[in-house]
Amino acid sequence: MGHLQRLLLYLFVLLTAASSAGAGEVALSAAASLKEVISELSDNFAKKNPGVKYVKNYGASGALVKQIENGAPSDIFISANLEWMDYLKKKNLADVASIGTFTYNTLVFAGAPGKASSMQDLIKLERIAIGSPKSVPAGEYAMEAFKKAGLDKQLEKKLAMAKDVRECLMYAERGEVDGAFVYKTDALQANKAKILFTVPQELYPRVTYPMALTVAGAKNKDAAAFFGYLHSDAAKAVLTKYGFAIH
Amino acid sequence: MQLTMMASKRFGEFTLEADFSVNGERTGVFGVSGSGKSTLVGMLAGLVEPDCGKIVLNGDCLFSSSARINLPPEQRRIAMVFQQHALFPHLDVKGNLFYGFNRCRQEHRVIDFDALVGVLELDDLLRRSVKNLSGGEKQRVALGRAILANPRLLLMDEPLSALDDTLRFQIIPYLRSVSEQFGIPYLFISHSLVEMRLMTDTVLVVEKGRITDQTGSEQLARNRMGRSSVGYINLLELHGMTERDGMCAYRWDGGELLLSATNRDTESGLFELSSKDLILFKQHPEAISARNLLRCTVAALFESGTKMGVELHCGDGKLISEIVPVAARELGISPGCTVYAACKASAFRRLSARNPSKK
Amino acid sequence: MTSLMSTDYDAIRLSAQVAIAATLFSLPYGFAAAYLLTFVKFRGKVLLEVLVNLPLTLPPVVVGYFLLLLLGKNGWPGSLLSDAGIRLIFTLKAAVIASAVVGFPLLVRSLRIGMEGIDPQLIKASRTLGACWHDTLLSIILPLSFPGLLAGSSLMFARSLGEFGATIIVAGNIPGVTQTIPLAIYDYASSPTGGSTALALCLVSVAISLAVLFLHELLARRVARGE
Repeated sequence: MGHLQRLLLYLFVLLTAASSAGAGEVALSAAASLKEVISELSDNFAKKNPGVKYVKNYGASGALVKQIENGAPSDIFISANLEWMDYLKKKNLADVASIGTFTYNTLVFAGAPGKASSMQDLIKLERIAIGSPKSVPAGEYAMEAFKKAGLDKQLEKKLAMAKDVRECLMYAERGEVDGAFVYKTDALQANKAKILFTVPQELYPRVTYPMALTVAGAKNKDAAAFFGYLHSDAAKAVLTKYGFAIH
Repeated sequence: MQLTMMASKRFGEFTLEADFSVNGERTGVFGVSGSGKSTLVGMLAGLVEPDCGKIVLNGDCLFSSSARINLPPEQRRIAMVFQQHALFPHLDVKGNLFYGFNRCRQEHRVIDFDALVGVLELDDLLRRSVKNLSGGEKQRVALGRAILANPRLLLMDEPLSALDDTLRFQIIPYLRSVSEQFGIPYLFISHSLVEMRLMTDTVLVVEKGRITDQTGSEQLARNRMGRSSVGYINLLELHGMTERDGMCAYRWDGGELLLSATNRDTESGLFELSSKDLILFKQHPEAISARNLLRCTVAALFESGTKMGVELHCGDGKLISEIVPVAARELGISPGCTVYAACKASAFRRLSARNPSKK
Repeated sequence: MTSLMSTDYDAIRLSAQVAIAATLFSLPYGFAAAYLLTFVKFRGKVLLEVLVNLPLTLPPVVVGYFLLLLLGKNGWPGSLLSDAGIRLIFTLKAAVIASAVVGFPLLVRSLRIGMEGIDPQLIKASRTLGACWHDTLLSIILPLSFPGLLAGSSLMFARSLGEFGATIIVAGNIPGVTQTIPLAIYDYASSPTGGSTALALCLVSVAISLAVLFLHELLARRVARGE
C-alpha cells in the first residue's frame, strides 16, 4: 500500500472511531441553561478525581441531539425537556437504564424594568425573543404558554428566534428585544435584564431536565463515575445554589 | 475668426508649447502623429487643461492661468469632429444630430436643420440606427451633429484619416460646402498635405510640440516638395472623358491629357500628378514614348530643399515640376521661357470620381 | 416531500422582498461610486476603492456586527435614529441594509466594467456639444452603462438571497418579519426533525439563484460585446 493510501486509511479510521471520547476523557452535551452549574460540578469532581478531561458542549437540546445523531462524540446528555431525551431513546442512542432526572426549572420573562408585568402585557411589546421552538425547549415551553393563554396569534410577528436560551438572554441584555423568555436560573445570571414576571405554571408543562449516559458513554468508566456524581447530594447543593429546583 | 493661443502642457517627457495667432475662416494644423496636434486641439476645446498660458477666441478669453479662467467645454461653443466619428450608439441619426442643437441657447440657434440635412445628404438616414451606417455616412452625421450645435469654431481632428481614399475625397466637398454655406470657421487637423491644400488657407505646422511654421497651405506644399518622397502633388480637375487609341482623353484647364485605360469608368474627377513625374524639355522632342507633351510657359522658379520647383502655366492650367538646380542652369530655364513638359499616361492617380459609373 | 408551512412561504416572500429592496436601494449609491471611480480623478481615490470592496473581503458576521454597533441604540447614527423614533435593529429594514452592504461591492464592480467599456471619445463629444458633466452623466453614461447596471443588479440580487451572517446579527431570525430563506433553513437545520423542510427550502433557494445567475450571464455577455 502506498504512503498516500496508508495516510488516508489512517485518517478514515481516526474519524470513524471518533464517536466515543478517548480514555481519560468525558464528553458532555448539556442544555445551554446548565452551563455554569455543569462547569462548577465538573471542576469539583475533577479536583477529587484528577486525570480526566471534561469536554463540554452546551447548546439547544434539539441541536445537541442532532449532533449526537450525526456522530458527534458524547458520553452524557442532559436535555431541557423530555421530548429530546425520548427522541434519543427512540434512535437507540441513549443507555435506557441510566435515564433519570437531573433537575427542574421555571420559565420567566426577563427584560428592561417596566416593560411588562403579565402575559397579557406581551401584546403591547414590539419584539420578544424566544428560543427557536424547533430545537430549543425553552422556546417550546413559551409557545405552549402562548397557546394556552390564547395569545399565540397576536404574538405571531413579534417573535425573534434565538438558537438557545443564552442567546435569548443576550438579545434582552442588549436591548435588541423588549424581553425574552428564559429560565429563572438564566435571569439570575443577567445584569441589565430583570425578571419581569414568572410564567404561570398551568400554562406549560414542568421544566424537567432528564439526563442519561449515551450508548457509547455507558462503556466509558470515567463517564459513568461522573454520571454517578451528578446524582449526589453535593451536586444537588450546587444546583440549589444556582436557583434550580430539585423536586 | 481670430484665435490667439499661448499655452503649454507637459506629459512626462513630452512638452507641448503652442504660441500662435491666426485670423481666418479655414485654418489647418499640420503634423505627424505624436507631434502634439491632438493635445493642442484638446486644449482649445477645453478637454485638456494647459499647465499655464492663455487662449483667446474672437476676443473672449477661454483660458487664462493668470486670471484663473478656465471655461468648461460646454460653455466654449467649440464643436469637434473626431477621427472615429464618436456617434452616440444609443441614439438614432436624428437624435445624434439634435444632441448639440438641443443644448444650444435659443439666441445662438442659427443653423437650419433641413438645409444642413440637404447639404450633407442625410435625408434617408434620419431614422436609422448609427450602428449600421457606412464609414462615410457616419462621418457626415458626425459633421452634421457638430454643425448643428451652432459652434463659433469647428475643430476637425483628422476626420478623414480613418476613411479610405475614395471616401476621403468624397467627404471633402461636404466639409467645405457646409462650412461655407453656414459660415462656420474651422480648424482642420491632418497629417496629409493634400487634405490641407484642399481644405485650408493658412496652416500651422506642428513638430515635436512646437509650432514651427505658419504659412499658406499652397506655400507649405511647395516648401516641402524638396524633402518629400512624393514631391509636390499637382491636383487636377479632369472632365469629359472620351476613349481614344485605347486610352482615356480628358479635358482640363490646360487643354487635353491622356490617361491610361484603367480610368475608363471615370467620366470626370480629381486626379493627382507628382512633380517628379513631369520631365522638362527645352526643345520639342520629336518622338517620345510618353503620351502627354504639354507646351508651357515658365511662370516662376522656387527653391525647395535641394530641388528647384518650376511653376508652369499651360493654357489656364497650372503645373509644378521639380528638377535639380543643375538641370535648371543647363537648360537655361527662367521665368518667361517656353518649355515642354512630358508625363506618362500612367503617372496620374485618381483621387475621386465626380460621376462614378456602376462597376 | 414535506409541504411548506405558511412561515416558509413567508420566508420565500421575505427573501424576494429583501433582495429587491436592497438592490433598488443600492443602485443610486452604486452608480455614484462607480462613476467616481471610473471617471473622476481625486485624492484619496484608493480609499474609496478599499471601502467599497471591504464588505467583499470581510466575513458577513463581521459586517453584521459592525452594522449592529453603528445602528444599535448605542451607536452614533443609531442613537440619533432612536431619538427620532426610528428603530432599525431586528426589523426588515435592517435585513435590507445588511444585504445592501454585503452586495454593494458586486454592484459597483459590474457597473465599473460597464462604464469602463464606454468609449471616452463619446464623453468628449458630449461635452463639446454643450453638455455639462451631469448632463453627460444622465444622457450618455447612464444609458450606455445600462447592461452593466442590469448585470450588477442581478448579481447583487443573487447575493442577497443567500445573505445569512450579517442578516441574522442585525435583523434577527423573526419568522414572518425578517426570517429569509437562509435563516429559515438554519432554524430547520438545527432541529433533528426539520431535515426535509430544510431540504425543500434549499431547493427553492437554488432554483431562484440559478434563474438569476443565468440572467446575469446573459447580461454580462452583452456588456462584454459592447452593446
